[in-house]
Amino acid sequence: MIELYAITDHPGPPLPPVADTTLATAGAGSLAAVWAPVADAPAAVTIDGLRRHEAIVEALMADRNLLPVRYGTRVPDDGAAARLLIERRDELARALERVRGTVEVAVRVAAAPDASADPARALAAVHHPLAERARAATCRVRAGGDLLRGAYLVERGDVEAFAAGVAELQDDLADLRLLCTGPWPPYSFTD
Amino acid sequence: MSADLATRDVALVDLLDRLLGGGVVIAGEITLAVADVDLVHVSLRALVASVASAAPQDVEGTAREPEP
Amino acid sequence: MHDDKVLHAPPADLDLFDTELPRLEDALTRRIDADPENVERGLAQLVLTVVELLRQLMERQALRRIDGGTLTDEEVERLGAAFLALDRRMTELREQFGLEAEDLNLDLGPLGRLL
Repeated sequence: MIELYAITDHPGPPLPPVADTTLATAGAGSLAAVWAPVADAPAAVTIDGLRRHEAIVEALMADRNLLPVRYGTRVPDDGAAARLLIERRDELARALERVRGTVEVAVRVAAAPDASADPARALAAVHHPLAERARAATCRVRAGGDLLRGAYLVERGDVEAFAAGVAELQDDLADLRLLCTGPWPPYSFTD
Repeated sequence: MSADLATRDVALVDLLDRLLGGGVVIAGEITLAVADVDLVHVSLRALVASVASAAPQDVEGTAREPEP
Repeated sequence: MHDDKVLHAPPADLDLFDTELPRLEDALTRRIDADPENVERGLAQLVLTVVELLRQLMERQALRRIDGGTLTDEEVERLGAAFLALDRRMTELREQFGLEAEDLNLDLGPLGRLL
């Protein structure tokens, strides 16, 4: 059994060294899947496991373009991975191109204390302005708690400027609070 | 939750959202185990296909109440 | 190690944001309740979990359409109303069976993020 981490260009730079994990690539045409062998059991969902997995994807992201694969994706072997790459070649290549040169930034919006704000307000005041400054944007809204969780595809060199933009937005918004994290691999822009 | 702990873990929600709800769904089957007891095996192709065909009509019509 | 991912945070109001951490720990330690007296509740739990999953999927689809700008203002409003109604109904159903939002596995922690 092997676990998949990311879809990348093929060929690509050497894989980064990772403690306790032997990374390898399965290539097919211009695409490759980065994988590591795993014990034949379901992927345990623990915070440590998730963090370890994420650290690997981010190490890969440091020096190459990639599509992160959903956690827990396992296939029998590298042959199976290569077959999937061939089957889904067009859409994967398109998605990989779409995120080239970018990383993902997350912004969460909550109502300020004693303020009554709703998702529509968060959409108009935060999501739409930020979307204008990103290559692509998507979000989820909810009543209460995090009114809005936005994801923005930002050019790699622009993350600091984008974050500064978020801070500026915050300065002008008395009824909302913004929380911005990143950079992340482009999890929200793979389809 | 103290401000310190909140800062340390505040990116955790974003991490979970992404690893578990985002990323390429390349294999039709994802199997996850939680605490070695619960096993969730979702055949994504079947579920996503069935919802994808239903969803556009659903959201254009009136609210559908789920069967209790 | 992990707060280096924070690019901007409001100084005093971090607790306004969902932390999810306590609920995640619940999910990681919860066992399926096999007590026969709670079987009906268990079934309701499963059914509502699936419904909640579908609701999230539909919501995501709807947001894609909104983002894509292919809907009229009226349609967006109807969508908002539809999801609010569905949300309300879900709450009613949960209360009927004495279930918290946290009891619908797919709504929280790792299982809630599957789709």
